[in-house]
Order: sequence, then C-alpha cells, then structure tokens
Amino acid sequence: MLKYAFMQNALLCSICISVLCPCIGVFLVLRKYALIGDTLAHSSLAGVAIGLSVHMNPILGAFIFTSICGAMIEYLRSVFEKYADLVLSIILSLSVGIAITIISSGKLRTNAEAYMFGSILTITKTDLYMAIGLSVLAVVTLIVLYHQMIYIAFDEEAAIVAGVKVKWLKYAFSVLVASAISVSIRIVGMLALSAMISIPVATALQLDKGFKWTLLFSIAFSAADILLGLFLSFYLNVAPGGFTALVSVIVLMLVVAAKKVLRTYKKRGLQNNGASDIL
Amino acid sequence: MIRARGLCFSYTGNAPFVLDGVDFDVRAGDYISIVGDNGCGKSTLIRIILRAIKPIRGSIECTAARIGYVPQRNDFSNLQFPITVFEAMNSYRNLLKEPHRSEIFRMLDWVGMADFANRLVGTLSGGQLQKTMIARAMLGKPDLLILDEPSTGVDRSSQREIYGLLKEWNVHNGLTILSVEHNLDAAVANSTLIYHMSGGSGHMCVPERYMREYVQPDEPSDRPYERNDEVC
Repeated sequence: MLKYAFMQNALLCSICISVLCPCIGVFLVLRKYALIGDTLAHSSLAGVAIGLSVHMNPILGAFIFTSICGAMIEYLRSVFEKYADLVLSIILSLSVGIAITIISSGKLRTNAEAYMFGSILTITKTDLYMAIGLSVLAVVTLIVLYHQMIYIAFDEEAAIVAGVKVKWLKYAFSVLVASAISVSIRIVGMLALSAMISIPVATALQLDKGFKWTLLFSIAFSAADILLGLFLSFYLNVAPGGFTALVSVIVLMLVVAAKKVLRTYKKRGLQNNGASDIL
Repeated sequence: MIRARGLCFSYTGNAPFVLDGVDFDVRAGDYISIVGDNGCGKSTLIRIILRAIKPIRGSIECTAARIGYVPQRNDFSNLQFPITVFEAMNSYRNLLKEPHRSEIFRMLDWVGMADFANRLVGTLSGGQLQKTMIARAMLGKPDLLILDEPSTGVDRSSQREIYGLLKEWNVHNGLTILSVEHNLDAAVANSTLIYHMSGGSGHMCVPERYMREYVQPDEPSDRPYERNDEVC
C-alpha cells in the first residue's frame, strides 16, 4: 500500500494531524470549547471555496479565512459574554453561507466534496509541505506558550494576576486552531474534523492522569485512530475522514468499558480482602 | 502600599454602583480583613486592586512589587481539569519567571502539602485545595497576598491551620495580607484592621472597635478562633 506516492503523502499528513489535533483539542476541550472545532471546520470549507474561486492554494485559503473566523469568535465572545454558543452559531451561519454560495455558483473547477469528506487521493506534495510547515509552526508555538495556555484553560484569573496577556494569547490560539483545521481538512474532511479534535482528548481524560500525560495519551490515541482509519479506509475503499471518526469513537468506548471493568474488578478485590480480614 | 480614592464601579456602567466613592489605604505589614454583607462590593474591590477590572471613576495606586492571589473556592469551578498539584505549581512558577524549581516543594512543605504533589487537584479536599492555592500564591515571594474568602468550604481544623500560616507570614515575614472574609471570628482574631463595607463604601477600624460598633452584644459567640498570640 505504501508503494503509492499518494499513500506516502497521506501517511505523512496523518502523522502531522495526529500530533496537531490533540495538542489544540486538549485546550479546547478543557476550556469547554470543543464545539469551536466544528464551527471552524465549516469556516475552513468556506476558506477552501474562497481559495479555489480566486485560484489560491485552497489550504492557504482555509488557513487565512479560519484564522479570521477564530479571531472573530474571540472578539464576539467579549461582546456576547454570556452567550458563547450564540457566537459559534453566528460564525457557523457566516461560514456555511459563504461555502454554499460559492460552491453552488458552479464557478469552482475542482470538486469541493473532497474537503467535506476527506480524501487521500488528492493530497499533493504542496499540501504535504504546507501541512508539515503549519504543524511545526503550531507545535513550536505551543511549546513556547505551554504554561500560559495551561493557565488560561485552568485558572484564567490567576493567569491575569501573574501578568499573562490573556486576551492576545487567546487570539494567537485562534490562529493555531485555524492552522490545525486547515492542515486536517484535506485528509479527515470537514465533517469528521471536530471528532479528531475532541475524541482522542475525551479518551485520554478517561485515564485520570495529570496534564502532561493526558496530552501525551491524547496524541497516542489520535495517532492510533488516524492511522487505523487511514489504512482500513484504503482497503475498505471508503472516505478516510468518516472512518477515522468511527474508529475514534470505538476506541473511546473500549477505553470507557475497560475502565469500568477494572474499577469493578478492583472493588471486588477490596471487598474480598476486607472479608478475609474479618474472617 | 495601596492608596485608593473615590473608587466607583458598576457592572452595567450605570447606577446603581457596587462601589460608590471608596477610599481605602493599606500600609506595608497590615493584615486587613474586608467584611460586609453579600453584594456589598468586597470581591469587586479586590478585583480592582488586582487590575482584573477598571473603576469607572477614582484612582488607585499600588506599590506592591508582586501580588499573590487566592481565589474564592466557589469561583474555582475548573476542578475537573486534569492537572496535578505539582503541575499547577510548576506552570505558575513559569508564568512568574521564578527560576528555582525547589521553591515549589519549599512552599508545598510549608503548607503541609508536599506529600500531595502528584495528586490531581480535583481529588483534593476543600482544605487541601485552599492550602495548595495559598502555596501557589506564595510562589515568587509576593509582598501583598490577597485572599477571597479563604475559609469557605474548609473544615475547622484546616481553617485553624490556614489562618495560623497567614498570621505567621504576616508577623514573621512582614507579608501584607488583604482578605475578604465572611468568617467574622477569624477576621477579628487575626487581622490588625477590619474594613467594613456597606452601601457601596467602607470604614476602616481596629478589630476591638469593629466588635463594639458592628457586632451585637447578644449575638451568639461560638468562636473557634482565639487571637494567635503565640506567633505575635
């Protein structure tokens, strides 16, 4: 399977996504902001449509438009302070409106469906270089801002007291989310993207570890989900995005079930020990 | 250390004002408890001092080089966050650019939480969490410590430990403390001054005078705290 150049590109792209999505997702989920992934995925489709219509690289178009939408969400959150979900639906409406209008106009020479469902056949060398570039940029930024990002999610007021420029960092984070989504849309597809951002994190959270281990396990689960999804979708001849989302939910359910079984087993062990102590 | 004049604040930008012409002075080495009924503006005043919000009118000068802050436990809703005590302390140390990692264990040891370094913050009891938050606030050696209701949700023995620590830092290390209090007994037993707030403004007095002027003589006196004279 790896003898095909497009599969090699897809594999490298998948590795980028499997690191990038949970790195972003862990902060989104912990800020109780997981649905922003879904909204910005729709924005990235609008960005792809804009990019294709002006003959720009669609991934670059997605990155620019998604960054603008991410910054708009942060700004609107300060305007509609108590209605965070309302802000998401405003940006969702704007993005879907733009995407549908451009796609339905029939002026695009490329099929935008590949970006909705994800496709491994259409990944070019340029897409791959862009994916690697944006992933490296995002991961380096996250490493530099690691402690600040933790505190913005964990205790924003303490971050403000410690002198962190919370407002500006939130805008910077929106750009990181935009880059993660733009990189991922090509292979995972818009519709399954939010699954890749939130489900590996949800799976890692089941392990009840500290932040560092939760992040590392999120990356491990994400890599397992995406690579399994990619290989199996190739042999089953289905879209990789949808199948990866399915795999990630199955892995989550397995971990939840394993946790429950282990707990019951431990509880029984303790009860038996208690009973033997009494006897 | 803090000099506030004519502070006015309202969350809507218009009347009624939560703070309406507050004058407030804090000298280095003071231990001031801010008391008053719910909604009288205690937490708003400390949020202005912390520069989390800006007053609509009035001026505030704060000469503290570094401020430590212990939030109200009820406000701290992020207890499901997967972070260990050590990670919470270490990230905060990084934010403060405090170079010495050993400070984390020194502070945790001081509040009796060194054995809990690898525990998830969400699994701590109220008293343990509050002590961790105090240890975190003391990182970077602040000269002003601000606490918002440090005894809320904390059992009595942990309350005694916490107020003992605060008093010790205030007396031995000259740490200036500003504490929003609902626990009047603790406020009277430990503070050097009490700032009573009502109707958008306040009045500073010594604890003895506060007891005479604001506490009814027939009020039940179930007081678990005695003045901490052994550290004075």
